Amino acid sequence: MNDPHRDAAAATFTADHDGDCDDAALLGKIGQGDEDAMATFYREHGRVVLGQVLLVTGERVLAEEIVQDTMLAVWRGAGSFRGESSVRSWVIAIARRQTRDRLRGHRLRLVDNAYLADQPSSGPGPEVTALDRAELAEVTGAIRELAQSHREVLGLVFGSGLSLPEVAGVLEIPVGTVKSRLTAARTALGRVLTEKGQNR
Amino acid sequence: MNTGHADAHLDLEDLIAEVTGQAIADRAREHLTRCEHCQLEANRWNLVAGGVRDLTAGLPQAALVLLGGASYGISAALAPHASGTELTAVSGCVTLEEATGTLAQVNGTSLVIKTASGQPVTVTTAASTFMSLSGTLLSDITDGATVDVRGSSSDGTIAAAIVTVGPPFSAVNPPGLVAVRGTVGDASTAGFTLVTSAGTRVPVTTSGDTLVVVPHASLGQLPAGATIFAVGQAGPDGTLSARAVAAVRQLPAGGHLNVSFRSCSPSSIAAALALGG
Repeated sequence: MNDPHRDAAAATFTADHDGDCDDAALLGKIGQGDEDAMATFYREHGRVVLGQVLLVTGERVLAEEIVQDTMLAVWRGAGSFRGESSVRSWVIAIARRQTRDRLRGHRLRLVDNAYLADQPSSGPGPEVTALDRAELAEVTGAIRELAQSHREVLGLVFGSGLSLPEVAGVLEIPVGTVKSRLTAARTALGRVLTEKGQNR
Repeated sequence: MNTGHADAHLDLEDLIAEVTGQAIADRAREHLTRCEHCQLEANRWNLVAGGVRDLTAGLPQAALVLLGGASYGISAALAPHASGTELTAVSGCVTLEEATGTLAQVNGTSLVIKTASGQPVTVTTAASTFMSLSGTLLSDITDGATVDVRGSSSDGTIAAAIVTVGPPFSAVNPPGLVAVRGTVGDASTAGFTLVTSAGTRVPVTTSGDTLVVVPHASLGQLPAGATIFAVGQAGPDGTLSARAVAAVRQLPAGGHLNVSFRSCSPSSIAAALALGG
């Protein structure tokens, strides 16, 4: 067991990601109480999880707390990993549950977003034109204004590097719904860009 | 994945796979190289992905400090930097980096360029990577080729300043020049006859100053030794996953590429790189 008062720098891990690392084996070591394995796991997945949680919550401090809770859940529950999904999607699913618990007070808003998220898009229109004309910085800003469920699906697909079936597993919805939600998110993004363009 | 007719557009799964660097079927990849509709869709998703990455990828990772093995805190922020020293940030485009050098070799869908310091940089490409070739490429103007000619007109003859080979590319459209589209006939080193869709035959003269642009070039068209400018996302191993590549053959003596983007959008980058800067 480590000395809890040891210099923080001594327990700071900065090495680059090792692409050959076997995440499942890593979880096995974590399950046996291997702190170095936990540090490696955090190094490999922490930033992605933080990015996804921050995208959903929009609050840095809250996001870091959720990541902390997520890693604690990994530390305690590594032995429960059954290998039925990728480790990345498993830890993101944990983070999603932690986020949901923290945001429980916003349940009504979440329901609204969930309803809106899967409405079919109206097809090509001014939203597509707005996207074609948009600059990256405008898109980045517009994503911040999307509904939580739209930000979430965009983050899982483009930020976390999960496949569509993995995203479906994390969100506990069919792949077809992931696709429609993704399309709806892009349409909503175009709508925000259109509104911003009209206000300029 | 779309496994239907060979000419069917890419479905959402293919487009997302392409944008996120996952494998797509050869049929889809081949379709993407020639389908403007699908390229536009890929560009739109690329832009969305870029926005997400802007929001998530640049986060400094907090340090994990284990405290007694049972709990931990997240403390001081670190500032990781994954890219190699041969890549430089694109001003104003948070997620993009660039590399410049001469083309040393092509390996499949990757190319290796040698930078001014002599260091090799591997640039990986995908079907959605915009790739242009430009220079005094008069040999690329052959009979039957579809071209856009831009130049000055006198007595019914156009002195070509820019000839764009292949599909229309509106970005190559400097003001003040006459523009005519048609098919090349009677090609020679001195010029050619441009046959418009209406059947009109327009004499075109070319010279060593005529800039020939192939906006949608393939890797196989890039000649060894060409000056390469690539822009894209840096990989953890120092490679560059290219969003766009410009190859310039026969750069004037003492000349150098000076590329600037109006914005970070794919269309803006493509416009800047179509002319090699």
